[in-house]
Amino acid sequence: MTYEVTVEPTGDVVEVEEGQTILDASLRQGVWLPFACGHGTCATCKCQLLEGDVDLGNASPFALMDMERDEGKILACCAIPESDLVIEADIDVDEDFLGYPIEDFEATVVAIDDLSPTIKGIRFELDHSMQFQAGQYINLDMPGVEGARAFSIANKPSDDSILELHVRRVPDGAGTGYIHEQLQVGDTLQVSGPYGQFFTRKSAPEDLIFIAGGSGLSSPQSMVLDLLEHGDTRKITLLQGARNLSELYNRELFEQLAEEHDNFTYVPALDAPLPEDNWEGFSGYVHEAAIDHFDGRFEGHKAYLCGPPPMIDAAITALMQGRLFERDIYMERFLTAADGAEGATKSALFKKI
Amino acid sequence: MSNRKLNLKDKYRLLTRDLEWEYSYRDYEEIFKQESFEGIKITDWSKWEDPFRLTMDSYWKYQAEKEKKLYAIFDAFAQNNGQQNVTDARYVNAIKLFLTGVSPLEYQAYNGFAHVGRQFGGVGARVACQMQSLDELRHVQTQIHAMSHYNKHFDGFQEFPHMHDRVWYLSVPKSFFDDARSAGPFEFMVAIGFSFEYVLTNLLFVPFMSGAAYNGDMATVTFGFSAQSDEARHMTLGLEIIKFMLEQHEDNVPIVQRWINKWLWRGYRVLTLVAMMMDYMLPNKVMSWQESFEVYFEEAATSLFKDLARYGIEMPAYAATAIEEKEHLSHQAWSIFYNYGHAAAFHTWMPTDQEMDWLSEKYPNTFDKYYRPRYEKWREMEEAGERYYNPTLPMLCQTCQIPMGFTDMENPTLTSYRQSEYDGERYNFCSDGCKDIFDHEPEKYVQSWLPVHQIYQGNCGGAEMEDVLGEYYRINLGVDNLDFHGSPDEERWNAWHNLQPAEDKLKEAS
Repeated sequence: MTYEVTVEPTGDVVEVEEGQTILDASLRQGVWLPFACGHGTCATCKCQLLEGDVDLGNASPFALMDMERDEGKILACCAIPESDLVIEADIDVDEDFLGYPIEDFEATVVAIDDLSPTIKGIRFELDHSMQFQAGQYINLDMPGVEGARAFSIANKPSDDSILELHVRRVPDGAGTGYIHEQLQVGDTLQVSGPYGQFFTRKSAPEDLIFIAGGSGLSSPQSMVLDLLEHGDTRKITLLQGARNLSELYNRELFEQLAEEHDNFTYVPALDAPLPEDNWEGFSGYVHEAAIDHFDGRFEGHKAYLCGPPPMIDAAITALMQGRLFERDIYMERFLTAADGAEGATKSALFKKI
Repeated sequence: MSNRKLNLKDKYRLLTRDLEWEYSYRDYEEIFKQESFEGIKITDWSKWEDPFRLTMDSYWKYQAEKEKKLYAIFDAFAQNNGQQNVTDARYVNAIKLFLTGVSPLEYQAYNGFAHVGRQFGGVGARVACQMQSLDELRHVQTQIHAMSHYNKHFDGFQEFPHMHDRVWYLSVPKSFFDDARSAGPFEFMVAIGFSFEYVLTNLLFVPFMSGAAYNGDMATVTFGFSAQSDEARHMTLGLEIIKFMLEQHEDNVPIVQRWINKWLWRGYRVLTLVAMMMDYMLPNKVMSWQESFEVYFEEAATSLFKDLARYGIEMPAYAATAIEEKEHLSHQAWSIFYNYGHAAAFHTWMPTDQEMDWLSEKYPNTFDKYYRPRYEKWREMEEAGERYYNPTLPMLCQTCQIPMGFTDMENPTLTSYRQSEYDGERYNFCSDGCKDIFDHEPEKYVQSWLPVHQIYQGNCGGAEMEDVLGEYYRINLGVDNLDFHGSPDEERWNAWHNLQPAEDKLKEAS
């Protein structure tokens, strides 16, 4: 039995297992809540319960006083849901977040392209238009696959009646296996969205860095296309990492854009180019390409990272060592079932990282 | 979305921003004189993220409610003669050590945060320090009130503030805080806000509070929970100051690294007292020092320093020494106190057979090999009517001020001994950590008020033991000090429990 906990004011939804605390489930699913002691004595994780029932657990009577219990306050580190919940936590909503409503769509496949040997591009037509922010994702239901799968939207928001997804084949992955092996043009699937807190902070004046790995190009592609379409004049740099030349997809699209727009720079990087690739671009990991391109100094930028967890971690380290910090870094980690929940205890130093 | 009520962050910003004055007729540097001399570069205070957002009215409301609860429990404890229901009178000696050694540090923290709160140009940091300062004052008051009940029934509590300033082993925690408070404001925040309140606090408080819970001391458990509920503010402030300094300027990184190295080592040395309390002074044991060190230091610090590595901060070099010492620390500390049991304001004793077996089980690599034989010898002497008291004064480490009783981890029977020369004088240290701290700022540490030196210089009441211990320290000789066996504490405890043993009470009731 699991319960759904909706965290306001962001609207993030967390699945909490039987007997699991709200804090534990949230942190494991990448939803940050304030916390410190983790065992009910310090009250850093105090939240307001708006709907539903919880077991307050071992909350200390000094950390959660009677009057607060009466007001419906809970400690996320001890509270165990007894129904679906809505809680309000002391977290900030970004002013650039537009909060488009989540809707259900019927999506019909109109094209399937081999973008690379491991990544397919799927193009759907939607039964009605979807409002979303570039960077957000949708959930896709597939026949015979238990549970929805999340995929970032690769098309720009102005193309609102279509949906473009980039899907990498995950070894033994049921969802991506279905898409790679069974999905046909003409099939209709259920889609819900848009979801997520990964979007362009348009009100921020800083120049932008996008770092993409593998099929993590999808969100940055949507974000870059959207910015350029609106005539954004800030400097935009897209760094795309791939193993070898055949995995480096949509290269021509971005080379073309770089020619057309003075403020857009495209830097592809291959970490294992093949001899027949005759690669003359950057050889190495994409975070190394970023260090090389920016001379190790990232101050004064906003950085957007999208891709597998090891790439994100390496990129964060590179950015921080180049003096760009948490408040200027946004990320979307592409987790698969194989990544699982990170076992190690987490320090309270960072919120999102 | 536009009609949303203000969230806490906005409310707090509106509350505090009026304190952000424009200084029109004085220079900033003149107003915040201490902000720059340590070499920390702050380029933009507006990047400070308020670690907590608590308005003053809710602060008073919450704290008043906590006090109400807390004092109700103190009253109940007193009315029920709670002092008779602790596991054993030996336990109370842990509380004596806490009151003389730790509670005055809360007062020092109150002073320290009030002082540094004035020194920061950023209003967020100023308000946060002010709130912590108030919390610390509340902590020292509630701790004194919690323990004042024991003062009515046990010896050794009556002169705690006087003793804190003078007694040899209390110079260890006192000099630790004096060192922090005489540093600049940013170093103080790393020393106390980060190293002590964030990294080491669980290692200090959890053992003490669980120790109290396991030994029937409801009053202490309750003030522990009450104080811990304020810790959220303290821990988040400690983290914010570190992030803030590291992000403001890269030149701050090596300075912060040196402070972290220094203050984690300084704090760890102070916690030697906790190690000994856990393994020797609790009749009902919670967990061993080693176990607690592994959970609250090793695991927690590993994840913290993994994250700090992104700023270029490394795990302090001395952490490896602390980890190696975990199987020895408590035994060496208790040996020192047993040696000098006549000069301590609490009682010492040799562990019982059962307790020795517990120590063997918890410390399979070290206890039977290095410490049990020594204890058995001391017990033999005690049984022969020659309880061992060391008649000489020990050499102290110039930095941590602990007697030089720690040993080399490569050869645990050899005293660890380091030396530096400064201005023609030799100075002695217990460890590389303490020596390095001295070597970086010798001008500061040559001024240390070392109790043994002061005694020899004739500054502590006289030439005889009685002058120093009785007159100068105000230890009630023959009462507060010496072995627990034969002490008035023990006698009273036995009297309470023999007068009306439990079986008789039951008979009367039926």
